[in-house]
Amino acid sequence: MMLKATAEMMDRILREETPGKYSYTVSESEKQELNIENGEFKLLRTVFGSGASARVFLGTKTGSASGNDITEEGLRKLVGEATAAAESAGEDPCHDIAPNQGKDVFIQGVTEPDMDRFIERIREFLDTAAKEYPKVRIMYAMGSFDRWNRITRNTNGTEFEFHGGRYSFSVEICASDGEKTTGLDYTGVITAKLDTPFMETGDLRRHLEDITNSIDAKPIEGKFEGTVILTPGSAANFIEMLVDNYISDGVIINGMSQWLDKVGEQVASEALTVSLNPYDERIVIGERATGSGFRTEDVTLIDKGVLKTHRLSLYGSNKTGRPVVKNTGFDLVVANGEKTLAELIASVDRGLILGGFSGGQPGANGEFSGVAKNSFLIEKGKITGAVTETMVNGNLGEAFRRIKGVSKEVLCDGGSVVPWIAVDGIVISGK
Amino acid sequence: MLHDVIGNKISLFSDGVQTVLRGQENRNRRVVLLKGNLVQNFRSEARGINARVNDHGTFGFASIAEYTPEAAEKVIRAATENAGALRRHSGRNVPLPPSKGTGTIPLNAAITDAPQKELIALCRTIDGYIETTYPDLTSRTVVYSEDSQDRIVCASDAFCGHLVTPRCYVYVMMSAETKDGVPVELFKAFGGFGSFYDHFQEPEKLYPGIDLLHKQLMDKKEGVYAEAGYRTVVLGGLMGGMLAHEAVGHTVEADLVRGGSVAGPNLHRRVGSELVNMVDFAHSYAGGAAPLPVFLDDEGTKAEDAVLISGGILTGYMNDRESAEEYGMTPAGNARGWTFSDEPIIRMRNTCILPGKNTVEELIASVDDGYYLINSGNGEADLTGEFMFGVTCGYEIKNGKLGRALLDTTVTGVAFEMLKTVDMVSDTVEWSSSGFCGKKQPMAVGMGGPHMRCKIMIGGR
Repeated sequence: MMLKATAEMMDRILREETPGKYSYTVSESEKQELNIENGEFKLLRTVFGSGASARVFLGTKTGSASGNDITEEGLRKLVGEATAAAESAGEDPCHDIAPNQGKDVFIQGVTEPDMDRFIERIREFLDTAAKEYPKVRIMYAMGSFDRWNRITRNTNGTEFEFHGGRYSFSVEICASDGEKTTGLDYTGVITAKLDTPFMETGDLRRHLEDITNSIDAKPIEGKFEGTVILTPGSAANFIEMLVDNYISDGVIINGMSQWLDKVGEQVASEALTVSLNPYDERIVIGERATGSGFRTEDVTLIDKGVLKTHRLSLYGSNKTGRPVVKNTGFDLVVANGEKTLAELIASVDRGLILGGFSGGQPGANGEFSGVAKNSFLIEKGKITGAVTETMVNGNLGEAFRRIKGVSKEVLCDGGSVVPWIAVDGIVISGK
Repeated sequence: MLHDVIGNKISLFSDGVQTVLRGQENRNRRVVLLKGNLVQNFRSEARGINARVNDHGTFGFASIAEYTPEAAEKVIRAATENAGALRRHSGRNVPLPPSKGTGTIPLNAAITDAPQKELIALCRTIDGYIETTYPDLTSRTVVYSEDSQDRIVCASDAFCGHLVTPRCYVYVMMSAETKDGVPVELFKAFGGFGSFYDHFQEPEKLYPGIDLLHKQLMDKKEGVYAEAGYRTVVLGGLMGGMLAHEAVGHTVEADLVRGGSVAGPNLHRRVGSELVNMVDFAHSYAGGAAPLPVFLDDEGTKAEDAVLISGGILTGYMNDRESAEEYGMTPAGNARGWTFSDEPIIRMRNTCILPGKNTVEELIASVDDGYYLINSGNGEADLTGEFMFGVTCGYEIKNGKLGRALLDTTVTGVAFEMLKTVDMVSDTVEWSSSGFCGKKQPMAVGMGGPHMRCKIMIGGR
């Protein structure tokens, strides 16, 4: 196999060129991508990829380089660049690679695509959408089959091989009626199987329904504090911001996190349990190894509102003396609750279903402010219409402390498993 | 720099279709110092060849991560086969767009590579200055980031050429705490088109900008939340550039017009006040170079300026060759791909709202009760022109004078309504070019604007 030969060559060059520790990855990939514009098949794209990356240690100094020239000359140049970068770095004993994790071969997803079936499923989706949602315009859609082979090794003895493939299908949609047009909406799924029509996977049907119901969106008047029901897509977005702002490497290393000393404490509502579970069967291609070379483990970040751990890389762990988290993907699984979505909606006196959030990245203080996209007003327990030009403001930490309810239903799109989450105390403002 | 291994492959192009062959290399250099700790230190290079074939509205594309004559032959074959295969599934039958001329565009610049140790030394010098001068900060980050594109384009019935787009920046981020212990942050980018030695041989030249950033952060420490609502504001030039790109620019990209953007029914209609003029500049602005010059696009179209709004009237779109035919316009060189494996799609180049006649001081003095919004962290817009910008730096305006600083907030509006409220425009333009535009692929873009007085929705507590 060519890739193994490339890995052997990389190993030999690294042994020759650098006296210390190193890790490296070599890869090859192929993509078959069908692009659809306005419901028409427009472009077929084939991408043959290859790549290599190396991280070199000179004592406690480290440098990295990557490239896609996997000839001997190209790999030598790459190793030279990584070595030069390491030579210029300062001493920092916190940089390291994971201890020996043994050898393993990970095979995930589908390695031989059924492209004819894939194209049939895409056409079926387009036909169903045109028939059942005539006001929806499939502005852009993309179906892609991606296949990869990758080998990663390090001088501590770890040797992993990864082989896999997956289908993905995504759409950008709007709806129009005469000159009235909605904003854009996006959704998609990842799958290894083609046994279900795309319309019935992920959240595709709901997005088409919601965009159809958004043509007559209206601004709301004035400002009020209300309840916001985060759709699974919005909830995933907010949780990602929460992780970045409160428990990731950067904010723990620089000490800016407002949850710096909160491990073991209640930081959110008891209704919230957030995990990164790449081995969950609903996650199609979960992470199997971290960037620093650990075997990936499932990890619970927040359990019934209690912060279980910061999310530190090996470097962040060594720098701060706190535990490393052997998980660098974002295979998000949020525990479902007891109430149905209909019950959650019925419990809201005044608020929004937030289909999307277009806002600035919250600062370290967690304050967020942005525009409600693809969203609907709730008044006295009922959805009363789509909104436009409506802003939502609040604080990330505070919002997750004020969870009013979590839905029984969850959305599985192949990359995450997330319910609807209702939070109180959000400022909602119109013109 | 790439040497030409593809120019003699034109003879392999099929008849009756349009083919473009492109060889490209993208380089990245990155150093990150977080509170003096070197947390990123890497270099990357990716090169390869692609071909795109237009078979009467059905497109085939193929790329290989090799830069060899053999790879060029393979991608021409594969792209041609892809176009043919897809045509059997597609009902499209669009006449090929006519040639707008052929020729060769000469190499525009050189890419000079600096060793990693010089990049690290620069970051350490700047970090040392900040640490020594401003001990009141709770955190600081200094980033050196460089990306460059080096491309050779060969087109069957359009222009060929060799173009490079190097750019490099130093980003400085500073953090402090309010008296209540709440973190506040600001950042600033230095640099632009060119290589390390064009911008950073004398680090001390950055210090006045760093000093201003620190002053603004200290103001922000004492800052207040904006009062939510529909307010009169003076948008700074960087915010004006964000508006040009996000709120207007995307809606007038022809592929989004075709998808149903608000610009479709508004062509030749009033979309702004008479003071609003907007152009997507190709390579030159006001007698000098535009921030990120583009001389040739990835369909082989020679780049020209695209006039979008004139006297408040929407006059045109940004196009690729096919959409230009569809809308009866002239392609101006907007079809670009980010890496060798990316197909060209319609992208902005240097999108700018043009200056007016007032001074910045006159704009601020004219506002009794409003806000001066200076800089944005990010922005988004959609087909309706409804936009959102995160505001990271701003001040109150009370009785024509600047007041307290603002904590982070967000502004929103609908572009073609908001532009009609523009009633004063400054005589200077501020440009930024450090960001990426995201639209399937990333893309380096320049955006610029004057200060503008207008009405806008602002978020707040």
